[in-house]
Amino acid sequence: MKIGEFKSTLHFFFQSITLLAIFVAFLALWELVSSLKILNPALISRPSQIFQDLWKLLSKTTLTGQSILITHVASSLYRLFLSFLIAVITGVSLGILMGYSKKVYWFFEPLVTLVMPIPGIAWAPIFMVWLGFKDPPIIAVGALAGFFPIVYNTAVGVRSVKKEFIWAAYSMGADEKTMFLKVLLPSSAPYIFTGVKLGLARSWRTIIAVEMIAASLWGLGFMIFDARDYLRPSIIYGGIMILAFIYLLIEGLVKLVEQETIEKWGMVRREAV
Amino acid sequence: MNLNPKVLRWLRFLSPLTVCLAVWEVLTFFNILNPRLVSSPSYIMLRMYDLTVLNPTLLVYLYRSLYRLALGYGLGALLGISFGILMGMNRYVHWIASPILSLLISIPTIAWVPLFLYLVGIGDETVILAIFLGCFFAVVYNTMNGIRSIKKELIWASKTMGADSETIFFQVMFPGALVSIITGLRLAVGYSWRALVGAEMLASGISGGIGRMIYAARSLNDVNTMFTGLVIIALGGLLIDHLILGLLEKITIEKWGMVRRRE
Repeated sequence: MKIGEFKSTLHFFFQSITLLAIFVAFLALWELVSSLKILNPALISRPSQIFQDLWKLLSKTTLTGQSILITHVASSLYRLFLSFLIAVITGVSLGILMGYSKKVYWFFEPLVTLVMPIPGIAWAPIFMVWLGFKDPPIIAVGALAGFFPIVYNTAVGVRSVKKEFIWAAYSMGADEKTMFLKVLLPSSAPYIFTGVKLGLARSWRTIIAVEMIAASLWGLGFMIFDARDYLRPSIIYGGIMILAFIYLLIEGLVKLVEQETIEKWGMVRREAV
Repeated sequence: MNLNPKVLRWLRFLSPLTVCLAVWEVLTFFNILNPRLVSSPSYIMLRMYDLTVLNPTLLVYLYRSLYRLALGYGLGALLGISFGILMGMNRYVHWIASPILSLLISIPTIAWVPLFLYLVGIGDETVILAIFLGCFFAVVYNTMNGIRSIKKELIWASKTMGADSETIFFQVMFPGALVSIITGLRLAVGYSWRALVGAEMLASGISGGIGRMIYAARSLNDVNTMFTGLVIIALGGLLIDHLILGLLEKITIEKWGMVRRRE
């Protein structure tokens, strides 16, 4: 057991090192090619230029004294947090109801099937008519986008609980509350977790997209889109790199939570892409 | 009453929708929901009639969108499958490309759009590139996993029975990976569709396109057109998924008796 753990840690370590090494090699190659003046610097910035400009953004402050880059990142993360929270609370509740009651499932299932495939950003113009600009429409659309995978997977999870478990629990005298907390919730937890993971990714993506059109002044999506208007390719490249970095960080965090909860409780479910 | 089970299933599916549409219609009819802010089913139908029969704008827009989708998706699928097979079969390619891939996958497709707008300008190319990226990653990832998940024993067995590498590829590896490849192609439809709408919205000034239509309607506060666009996007996504890919699944993996993976 210990050796296995050690091995997987080692494997993870090597993987991260490889990833880092390849990334650094790629940046070095890129820098080399651009210093040979093969690439047009007006179109493809040099990595050194990108980091320099990102550093400038980081050290420059707004009127209230915060770093500009950090304000961009913080406002995106703040929106993600709020919309994810809304999506989880509403999504899990409705999903459990849908799994619990056949009538609720019958009513909502067609709606979810029909509305789920609509890309989050397509809702943005309508929400902008309703809620104006900046935070409200961005958070609302992000929550809406994250809501559907959570509802869908929660409902599937609760419905997939074996009837035998429920019968067994009832015949042993469990009341509704015990049933719900000790049988339904634990056995559908892996599905709920899958839904929450998908929902988080979807919220993040949608928030970045909506920031680009909802004229918000702050946020990574806005930063990237704004840089295009001012012909600052280095900020576009840097912004994309930061997006990738933040996503990997969030993914690592989710994996950690998964290891500490679902996997520890012995409820692993095969990963769906 | 003896109803065909298929008809019954449709009735079960459609009845809640009908109830919702009716409630929605009544609420807007009596001005409980402000009709300037919320469209209604009848308005949406009317707008659809306007934009198709009276003045075929919607059809032209839809045609532009589908043209971009076809090019981007086709290119992404083709390159994705080829590259995925390469990554699945060659250890060295996998070693170098898979970390890069996992890095690139974590970037939302929409984040590339400003860059494409900057590099190639406002036009079909930007949208097609975005669709291509949305499709490519899903297809590469699933194709690679499909090839890599083929049991070594199967390849060894066919080798010992004297199969050459061509036979192994076409008779063992490709069919073995096909379930996974088709899963990737199916996921990619959703991603491409999303990338299409997003890119068309961001490329302000692009000619035609369903995303463009919704976005342009916003500046006029024209909720009816926006809702019409949403309905078209929802139906379009469902239709493409069910008709084209459902068919593809039926004539390949289901026919060959491979288990179909439920999403």
